[in-house]
Amino acid sequence: MTLLELEGVSVHYGRIQALRDISFTVNEGEVVALIGANGAGKTTTMRTISGLLNCSEGKITFAGEDITKMKAHIRVVHGISQAPEGRGIFPGMTVMENLDMGTFGRKDRSGVGKDLDRVFDLFPRLKEREKQYGGTMSGGEQQMLAIGRALMSNPKLLLLDEPSMGLAPQFIRQIFKIIKEINNQGTTVLMVEQNANQALAGAHRAFVLETGEITHSGTGKQLLEDPSIKEAYLGVG
Amino acid sequence: MSMTDGPTPLHTAAAEQAAEDREASSKGAGKSDLRQRGKRKSGYFSDRWHALSRQQQWAFLSIVVVLAYLLPLLNPPIITTEPGNNFALACFDMARFALIAVGLNVVVGYAGLLDLGYVAFFAVGSYCAAMLTSPDSPYLHIPYLWTLPIAMAVTMFFGVMLGVPTLRLRGDYLAIVTLGFGEIIRILATIIPAMKGQVGFQNVGHPPGTEADGTPIFSNSNGVPWYWLTLTIIIIVTLLVGNLERSRVGRAWIAIREDEDAAEIMGVPTFKYKVWAFAIGAAIGGLSGALFAGQVGFVNNQKFDVTTSILFLAAVVLGGAGNKVGAILGGALVSYIPLRFTAIAEYKYLIFGIALVLIMIFRSQGLLPARQRLLAYGRTALNKITTRDAAKPDSADDSPAGPSSRAAGQRGAEA
Repeated sequence: MTLLELEGVSVHYGRIQALRDISFTVNEGEVVALIGANGAGKTTTMRTISGLLNCSEGKITFAGEDITKMKAHIRVVHGISQAPEGRGIFPGMTVMENLDMGTFGRKDRSGVGKDLDRVFDLFPRLKEREKQYGGTMSGGEQQMLAIGRALMSNPKLLLLDEPSMGLAPQFIRQIFKIIKEINNQGTTVLMVEQNANQALAGAHRAFVLETGEITHSGTGKQLLEDPSIKEAYLGVG
Repeated sequence: MSMTDGPTPLHTAAAEQAAEDREASSKGAGKSDLRQRGKRKSGYFSDRWHALSRQQQWAFLSIVVVLAYLLPLLNPPIITTEPGNNFALACFDMARFALIAVGLNVVVGYAGLLDLGYVAFFAVGSYCAAMLTSPDSPYLHIPYLWTLPIAMAVTMFFGVMLGVPTLRLRGDYLAIVTLGFGEIIRILATIIPAMKGQVGFQNVGHPPGTEADGTPIFSNSNGVPWYWLTLTIIIIVTLLVGNLERSRVGRAWIAIREDEDAAEIMGVPTFKYKVWAFAIGAAIGGLSGALFAGQVGFVNNQKFDVTTSILFLAAVVLGGAGNKVGAILGGALVSYIPLRFTAIAEYKYLIFGIALVLIMIFRSQGLLPARQRLLAYGRTALNKITTRDAAKPDSADDSPAGPSSRAAGQRGAEA
């Protein structure tokens, strides 16, 4: 079943067009990856879906509802949650307080305890650092916190903007493993990645963005084997 | 509005926190160095303060409050501003600045919105009181005390008026727009005939009541009753703002201050809360303006310039943005120093400039830095909501105040 659908979405920054007529869908239960070079419009796509940017044309449908004009903070209530690029945690709040902020938009307070347990199961490190201030943690821990915080709103769709950015290789593998686990627990994941190898290997389907347009699409495996992609993104060829 | 939805259970939360802190500092002496990474820049006194039980805190606070009320009567020899300035009037002026700083602290300290035109709200409050009570004003005249809530409502309206179009801007852009707003209000007071420009309004009203000999209690020359009135208002406002700070609203403000985009995608309606911060800050500024108009008894367009705005901001930054007690202290100091040291009053902007530079270098969080304790209450609430046992065995182990208070204690012992 289609969870998220973008139809002909265009986004402008002033007069500069960042996204041109983007259309794709994300089905329930999938992991979908968007890959592309710097400036291809990956983060713009994410911010448009989470509502921080408005699209100038096109339509976004989420769970059968038109959310094109919906404010970002209401989209959270409807089940779209984002771990922003560069982590975007609250540096002056403790881990627990950051996670608490993740529940801000929730109506069902009774489910909070369950989600907290889930986050601590996925990231035992966060449990250890419960009382530490977000800004004093390492990059990898901050990334875990950003993902954990996004999960605290119990989203249907989790948006991950470059979860592997600036992390050590073993951390990257760990993060992708956790993303897989989150997906197995029933959360649909849409991620944006520069690390095409890992992202394509972990994703059910993937799209390649180039200068604001989708140029390739297919299953993760297909794209991994596509020679032009190999050359452009995987560094082999 | 969600302004009313539950302040977290303050007493129990604080008591638990204090208990945790004490337990943490009595435990694990050897572990404290391991936990240095959780340490925050926070003062020795604030750690000591949070280690006290709620009852001790209240006892200490009531002594401070009683002393504060007695201040103009005691007229302590070194602290006094006499013979240069009447001490009771100086106390009123300090209280007025403190109240303004509390209001501006909501905008600048909590929500992180830089407001350089705060004097505009102060001016609106002053003009409200003057135009509704002064015999120079052709309009409806009402008893002075009624002008206080009216001034608050009107300035709140002005706050929303300014906020709705401008709060889409961020950072420097917002600061420039507020700077412009401050000037607009001052110039309007000059050019609108009904506001009488430099001529102004005389004999602004005051609260009722007369002494045995028929002179009014709240006279222009007697600062004591005005000081008591303002101090009472400060206490009420601080309690209200404190509750707001610990509520959902306060958490939203802090989140906006820390990272606005992240707050928005956590489900915080950032625009709504920013407008609320503006409106509440404006209302407190207006209240202060109305009190000022009443005490001085005369309002014209001369007192509401940009430098006054900057002075208000300096008070908040000096005291510690985000900490209401710090704001009170900063406001009182900014008013007190030129009154006490009359010889250097001419150089007050120079002195505050240097003081601010020094504060930024050596104590960038202000005299009393803000601690993000409010969300610790949020955490307690979370534990309650999710019916998890709040007193988990490990929860007392490394509470944020624990290591630093321990370390501070050791430093104190060595010294």
